[in-house]
Amino acid sequence: MAEQKTVPEILDDMALKILMIEPGDLSVVGELVTLVEQLIGSQQGEVSPALGQMGKIFLDALGKIIMGELDDSATNFEHLGKCISEMQEVLRKEGQAGKAEIDTYCAIMQEIGLKVERQAMEGGAPASGAESSPPAAEAPPPAAAEAPPGAANGEAAALENLPDFLKDTELLGGFIEEAFEHLESIEANILELEHNPDDKDIINNIFRPFHTIKGVSGFLNLTDINKLAHATENLLDDVRNDKRAMDAAVIDIVLSVGDYLRTMVANIKDVLQKGPSLYKKFDISDYVRRVQAVQGGSAAVPEQESPVARAVAAPQTTAVAPADPAAVAERQSASAPPSQAAQKKIGATIKVDIEKLDSLVNAVGELVIMQVMVKQNPMVAAISDPKLTRDIGQLSRITTELQKTAMAMRMVPIRQTFQKMTRLVRDLSQKSGKLVDLVMTGEETEIDRNMVDSIYDPLVHMIRNSVDHGVQPPAEREKLGKPATGTVNLRAYQKGSSIIIEIEDDGHGLNTEKIRKKGIERGLISADDDISDHEINNLIFLPGFSTADKITDVSGRGVGMDVVKKGVEKLRGKVEVVSTPGAGSQFVIKLPLTLAIIDGIVVRVGEERYIIPTIAIQESIRPQQEQYNTVHGRGETLRIRGHLIPIIRLYEAFGVKSTYTDPCEGIVVVIESEWGKRALLVDELLGKQEVVIKSLGGYMKDIKGVAGGTILGDGRVGLILDLAGLVAASDARE
Amino acid sequence: MDEATDVKLEGTQSLKGLEGKYLTFVLGKEEYGVGILKVREIIGVMEITAVPHTLPYVKGVINLRGRVIPVLDLRLKFGMAAKEYDERTCIIVVEIEGPSGPIQVGLLVDSVSEVLNVTAAEIEPPPAFGTHLDADYILGMAKAKGHVQILLDADRVVGKGVLETLETV
Repeated sequence: MAEQKTVPEILDDMALKILMIEPGDLSVVGELVTLVEQLIGSQQGEVSPALGQMGKIFLDALGKIIMGELDDSATNFEHLGKCISEMQEVLRKEGQAGKAEIDTYCAIMQEIGLKVERQAMEGGAPASGAESSPPAAEAPPPAAAEAPPGAANGEAAALENLPDFLKDTELLGGFIEEAFEHLESIEANILELEHNPDDKDIINNIFRPFHTIKGVSGFLNLTDINKLAHATENLLDDVRNDKRAMDAAVIDIVLSVGDYLRTMVANIKDVLQKGPSLYKKFDISDYVRRVQAVQGGSAAVPEQESPVARAVAAPQTTAVAPADPAAVAERQSASAPPSQAAQKKIGATIKVDIEKLDSLVNAVGELVIMQVMVKQNPMVAAISDPKLTRDIGQLSRITTELQKTAMAMRMVPIRQTFQKMTRLVRDLSQKSGKLVDLVMTGEETEIDRNMVDSIYDPLVHMIRNSVDHGVQPPAEREKLGKPATGTVNLRAYQKGSSIIIEIEDDGHGLNTEKIRKKGIERGLISADDDISDHEINNLIFLPGFSTADKITDVSGRGVGMDVVKKGVEKLRGKVEVVSTPGAGSQFVIKLPLTLAIIDGIVVRVGEERYIIPTIAIQESIRPQQEQYNTVHGRGETLRIRGHLIPIIRLYEAFGVKSTYTDPCEGIVVVIESEWGKRALLVDELLGKQEVVIKSLGGYMKDIKGVAGGTILGDGRVGLILDLAGLVAASDARE
Repeated sequence: MDEATDVKLEGTQSLKGLEGKYLTFVLGKEEYGVGILKVREIIGVMEITAVPHTLPYVKGVINLRGRVIPVLDLRLKFGMAAKEYDERTCIIVVEIEGPSGPIQVGLLVDSVSEVLNVTAAEIEPPPAFGTHLDADYILGMAKAKGHVQILLDADRVVGKGVLETLETV
C-alpha cells in the first residue's frame, strides 16, 4: 500500500468515500482524514498552494466532525462532497484556483460553520488556522476527546480500558461476527416492517437479536453496548406488548441505534486486529435518551438529532409505503413469499472454514480429472465389458454431481447485498425528496461469496445514480403522467453461466444527444462516425466522463460510472446501459457465476497451451496476406474491418517455440483489453473450456501476462493469460 | 573460559541442532541432503508447464493433486550443466515458510538415494570457500557411510531462488 497515489486519484477516492458515507460512520471519516493528509503531503511542488490550503481547511472540518463540534449530518457531508468537487475543479484548471471556485468553497465551508481565511487560500500563505496544528496531530485528539474525563490521553485511556474485554479475545471475536450478523438482520427486518407495520413476527425478529446482543455484551463486560441494546430492547418490548405503536419514530431510532452499535462493534474489531491504541470510547447517553424519549411515547425527540428524518420529515412515510396499495399487494405477492421461505431455511446452516472448503474443491477437481484419465486410458477403454462401461458412467455422474455441490458451497444468496440497497434507497429518497420504491426480485440468486463485497460498491453507485438522476421529483412525474412514486427495479437472475444483475428505473433515461456532444468534444468519437445510440450511451462508463455542465453538480464528479465499470471488470464481468428516452434506463451487469471458474478458449503455441478468457475475445480469424501491414517503428498490424489492430506474437511475448511464425498461417485471436484491441498470434485453437483458476503460488503471482494456472483435462497445468498485463508488457517492449 | 573455546562451543552446539534425518539425493557426482521434516513427498518427473519471464532454473509449474506448485531445477540452480530427464529423475516436494504461510515447491534432482540418520559427530561446518555453491545454502557437511553429503537449507535455496525470480522479472 506504500505506493504513492496521484492527486487526482486521492480526490477521486475522497469523492467516493463521501458518496458512501452515512451519518455516524466515524470510520469513514477517519479514512477521509488519511486521504486528505495524503493530499496535503503530496502537494509539495506537485499541486498549487491553493489546493493544499483547501485540503487543510477540509481536514479542519473533518477534525471538528470527529470531535463532535460539527454535526455529522447528511447535509454536512453533502456540503463536504461539494467541496471535493471544487477541489477537483481547481485541479482540472491545473491548480490555478479561480476566484469562483474559492468563493464557492469558502461559502460552503462557512455554511457548515467553519471560519475560513480567504487570504490564505488565494495567496497560498500558510496563515490559516488549520495550519498551526500539524495534520498528524489532528487524528489522535478524537480518541482522547471522547475518552472519559478520568483518563487523560488516548493511549493511556485505551490501555486502561482494555483489560476488561481483552480477557477473552476468542469469545470477543465470536461476538463481533455474531453482532454484525444480528445487526444486519435487524436492519433487514426493520425495513421489512415498514411494509407490514403490524406483523408481530417481524417485531419479534428484531427484538431477539437485540436481546442476544444485550446478553452477550453484558457477559463480556461491554457495558456501553449492553446499555444501549438494553434500552432499545425495552422500547421494542413495549411495542411487542402493544404498549406503544410501531411507527416511523421507532423505526428511525432503531435504525440509527443499529448504525451506532455497528460503529461500536467495528471499533472493537479494530482494537482486536490492530491494537489497543485504536480504542474509542463512545458516548451512548444521547442515544439512550432518544430511545427513552421515543419509548415514553413523546415524539419530542429533538429534531436536529435525527438529521435524516429532519431532512424530509413529511414525505418520509409515503416515500417508503407506496401510494398505490394494489401495486404493493401485487409486488408483495411476487417478492415476499420466497424471501420468507428462505428466511426459515437459515437455521439449518453451519459455518465452515473457507480453507477447508477450498481444499475440498481442489480434491474434487482432481477427482474429476483422474476419473477422466482412467476412463481414457487405452487399456481401460479396450475392455468391452458392459458392466464396466455402466459403472464408469455412474462414477462420472457422481463425480460431476460432487463437483457441482462443492462449487455450490462457495455460493451465497445475493439477498444480504440487496437488502443493504433497501436502506440506501430509503435514505436517498428521503434526502432528495423523491418518492422511490425499490422492488427486488431474485434475492435468492447465488453468487460466489468472494464477490459479495466487491459487488457492493458498483451497486451503490448505480442505485444512487438511478435515484438521484433517473427518477424525477414527484411533481415532474405527475406532469408526465407517471405515478408520483418512481420505481427502481433491482433484479438478479442466472443466465447460462453468468449472473445478471439489472437496475432499472422509470425516470427520464439518458440524454443521448448530450452524451454524443460531450463525446465529440472530448475527442472520443467524431461527428461523422456512424455510431448507434446504444454505443453512445455506453460512453458514460469512460473515466471522468460526465455530461454535467459544471462539476459541482452532484453527478459531475466523474467518479461514478467508471468506478462501476472498473469494479465489475475486476470481477471479470461486463456492464452495459440500455436507455429509453422518457421511459427510464436500465443498467445490466453480467458477472461470471463464480470467481473460481473462468470460461476460456484453449489455444496452442508450439508445445504450450494457454487459456484466453472468453469474455475478452472478440473474434478469431486466419488473416489474409493483404490484411497484414508493418508500420515502421510501430510493429505489425492487421486491418480487420477497417480497424488497424496491433499484433502480439504470443510466442515472442513468452519466449517459446511456435509452429508458425507467419500470421497468415496461424490464427489470430482479437482481444479487447483496457488498452485497446490487440491481435494475438497463436498456432491453433483447441477449444472452449471452463477452467478452475489456480494461483501459481505466492511467489509467482506477479508474472506479466499470466493471471494464473489451471489443470487441463490431461492433468497438465495450463496458464491463463492476463491480457491487460500482456498488452502492457508488449507495448512497453515497443 | 577464553574466547576461542567459547566460539568452538557455540559452533558445536549449532551443529548439534543439525542432527537428525536427511533425505539424500544426487546431483551430478555430488550427494546432497535436505532435512526430512521439510520434505512432503517425492514424485517422479512429470510434464512441467513453462512459465514465461522466469529465470532459467525455474522450470515451471506442475499439478500436484489439484494444486499448482513451482518446480526448480537444482542442477541449473547450482550452476551445473542441464541433463536429460530419465526414469531416475525425481521431484522432491518441500514445504518452506513463505511470506504468507507455508508454500510447497518442487526440487528437480537426478535421483533420490535414501533417508540418512546423521549424528552431530558426523557433521562439519560448511567450508568457507572452494565450492560452487552459495555458502548461504549450506547448513553443513556430513560424512556418513564414507560419502560426503552437503546438507542444504531448503528455505534458503528455494526462498532466495524464487525471490530472485521476482526481482529480475
